Amino acid sequence: MKALILVGGFGTRLRPLTLSVPKPLVDFGNKPMILHQIEALKAIGVTEVVLAINYQPEVMMNFLKDFEAKLGIKITCSQETEPLGTAGPLALARDKLIDDSGEPFFVLNSDVISEYPLKDMIEFHKSHGGEASIMVTKVDEPSKYGVVIMEESTGKVERFVEKPKIFVGNKINAGIYLLNPSVLDRIELRPTSIEKEVFPKIAAEKKLYAMVLSGFWMDIGQPKDYITGLRLYLDSLRKQSSPLLASGTNIIGNVLVDETAKIGEGCLIGPDVAIGPGCVVESGVRLSRCTVMRGVRIKKHACVSGSIIGWHSTVGQWARAENMTILGEDVHVGDEVYSNGGVVLPHKEIKSSILKPEIVM
Amino acid sequence: MKALILVGGFGTRLRPLTLSVPKPLVDFANKPMILHQIEALKAIGVTEVVLAINYQPEVMLNFLKDFEAKLEIKITCSQETEPLGTAGPLALARDKLIDESGDPFFVLNSDVISEYPLKEMIEFHKSHGGEASIMVTKVDEPSKYGVVVTEESTGKVERFVEKPKLFVGNKINAGIYLLNPSVLDRIQLRPTSIEKEIFPKIAAEGKLYAMVLPGFWMDIGQPKDYITGLRLYLDSLRKKASPKLATGTNIIGNVLVDESAKIGEGCLIGPDVAIGPGCVVESGVRLSCCTVMRGVRIKKHACISSSIIGWHSTVGQWARVENMTILGEDVHVCDEIYSNGGVVLPHKEIKSSILKPEIVM
Repeated sequence: MKALILVGGFGTRLRPLTLSVPKPLVDFGNKPMILHQIEALKAIGVTEVVLAINYQPEVMMNFLKDFEAKLGIKITCSQETEPLGTAGPLALARDKLIDDSGEPFFVLNSDVISEYPLKDMIEFHKSHGGEASIMVTKVDEPSKYGVVIMEESTGKVERFVEKPKIFVGNKINAGIYLLNPSVLDRIELRPTSIEKEVFPKIAAEKKLYAMVLSGFWMDIGQPKDYITGLRLYLDSLRKQSSPLLASGTNIIGNVLVDETAKIGEGCLIGPDVAIGPGCVVESGVRLSRCTVMRGVRIKKHACVSGSIIGWHSTVGQWARAENMTILGEDVHVGDEVYSNGGVVLPHKEIKSSILKPEIVM
Repeated sequence: MKALILVGGFGTRLRPLTLSVPKPLVDFANKPMILHQIEALKAIGVTEVVLAINYQPEVMLNFLKDFEAKLEIKITCSQETEPLGTAGPLALARDKLIDESGDPFFVLNSDVISEYPLKEMIEFHKSHGGEASIMVTKVDEPSKYGVVVTEESTGKVERFVEKPKLFVGNKINAGIYLLNPSVLDRIQLRPTSIEKEIFPKIAAEGKLYAMVLPGFWMDIGQPKDYITGLRLYLDSLRKKASPKLATGTNIIGNVLVDESAKIGEGCLIGPDVAIGPGCVVESGVRLSCCTVMRGVRIKKHACISSSIIGWHSTVGQWARVENMTILGEDVHVCDEIYSNGGVVLPHKEIKSSILKPEIVM
C-alpha cells in the first residue's frame, strides 16, 4: 500500500526552528515530526511513502536515506517546481501512488499529530464502498476552520462549509485521507485545493465518507499549538501506559526523557515535558510544559515553562524562560536572564532580559 | 604574495540577508562583498587568498570555485572548529600564509569596504621597516571604537585605547593589516584578539606603524552602515569618473544599474541606488538610497527609499517602502502596501502595511 505526505513549503510559522531544518524534521516528542507519521504508516503495512515537497529536497533526501534503512520502508520525494496546493501534488506523484493492485492510498498532512487509527480507517473505507474517506475531528471553535457536514449514521459527507459564521457542525477536516486511485483522475496538474475543488465534487456524487477521529488531534505547525500538541501526545502515551514515559520522585505528570539525557539532583520536571538526546539538565532545574531539543544544556536553578528550547542551546544559571519563549538552534541565554516570550533566531547570545514578547534576530 | 580575509561567523547583524547566503556573499554594489576585496588583492599581485571561516564552508567553497577560475587567483578556506577571534585564525592558516619568499601578507576584515590603497601600504611598510602596518581611518565619533594613538610624523603606533571617554585621537583601526611572517610567531592557536593582545605588544616594541587610509571607509556589517557605505562607494566611483555609473534623464546622482536590468518609462532613480542583475523596474517607479538585489521586480508607481530589497523579491504597485526596510530573499510586498522599517525574513508575503519598524518572521 502507498501513502503521500503533504510536506509543502517553508514552514515559516515554525520559525526560528525551521531556519535550521525543514519543518518535517523538527523534533516533536523526541523524534522528527514526520517520523511519527511514517512509523504509523509502516505499522499498518504501507510499503512506500512519497513526500510531496517544494523546499530543501537535499536535506530531506539525506534524512530519508537514514530512515529508509532503519524502518524498512521505501521513502521517495516528489518535488513541486511551483506550489501545487493540497491536491496538485497528488497528480504530480500519480505514477508513484498507483500500482496494479488498485488499492487505495493514504494522504496525510505533515503538520498533523494524532493517534493515526489507520487500520480502522481501512475497514471504514471498505465498508462504505465509496471513492474517498476523510478523517474529521471535533473542535470547540469550528468557525476558524472548514467544517464537514455529514450524515451521522453513515458518515456520508453532504458538504463543506469554510469558516461558518453560524453553527453548522463542529467536525473539521483532520488532514488524513484514504483515496481510491480513481480520485487521481479528478485532479489536474496545477495548483489545486483538495478541500475546495476536489472533495466537494466527490461529496456531490455521494462518494465521500467521513470518519470521526478517535483520540487526540493537533496541527502543530505553529509554536502555541506545538506545545498544546505535546501535552495531548504525552497524554495519549499515558493512556497506553507507555514505558517511554519517565517516572521518579523528580517527575510530575507526563514527561519524556531520552535515554541519553542527564538530569541532575533536586530538579522538578513536568508536566508535559520532552527532553531530547544528549541533553544535560543540571541540578535544581524546574521544567514544565516545554520541549528541550537535542544537545541542550539547562544550567543550575533555571526555570523554563511554556517554551521550546532549540538544538544545542543553553539556558544559564537562574535564568527564567517562559510564555512561549522559542530559542532557535545554538542560542545561549546568559545567567540570570529573563525571557518573556522571546523568539530568538539561531546562533545568538542573549545577555539582557527580554521583558515582553519580541523577535531577536 | 598572500592574504587572509577574516570572514568569521554567522553574520547575524545582516539578517535577514544572511539567512540566505553567508555574509561575504551578500551583494554590495552588485557584486558579492568579498569580491571587492579579492579583486583589490588580485590587482596588486596577491596570488593566494585564504578565507578564515567558521560557518557554511560548503556554500563558500562552491562560490570560490567559480571565482578562482574567473579571477585566476588561488582561493582556499581555513575553517575554524571553534571561534578563534581576530588573531587565532592567522595561527590556524599559518602554513598557507608563509612561504620561502618571506614576503609580508595582508589581513583584511571581510565587513570593510574602502578604496583599498594596498600598493601604497606595501610602500609604507617597506619604508618604515617595522614588523606590522595597519590602516587607520578618521571618524567623527571615536569614542565608539578602538582608537589608535600614533606619532604623527612617522605613523609609529604608541598605544590603543578602547572606547576612550576623553578625546585621545580620532583614528580607528580600519581592519586592513600588512604583517611580516614573524607576527605569526606571536599568535597561539586559541581564541585571541589581534587588537587587544597582539598589536599592543608589537606597538610596545616600537614595531607597529599606522597609515591613514585615504578615501572612504565603512564597516558594512549592519544594514544602516551598508546603506551609508553604498553612498560612499558610489561617490568614490564618481570621483574616478567610472563608466559604470548610470546616466540619463531618469537618473539623479550616483546610480549603478546592472546591464541586464530593465528600467521602465517615467522612473526617477537615485541618488545612491544599486540595481542588480535581472531586475525589472516597471514604469513610474521612484528609487533613492537603496539596493535592489538580483532578480527583483519593482512594480509600477512604487516608491522605495533607504531600504534593501533582497534577491527575487517583488514590491507591489504603488507600494511605499522606506526607513530601513530590509526584505529578505523571495519576499513579496503586495500592491499599495506601506512598510516603515519592516525587516522581513525570506519567503514571506506582506499583505498588510507595517506602520512601525518591526521584524516579520
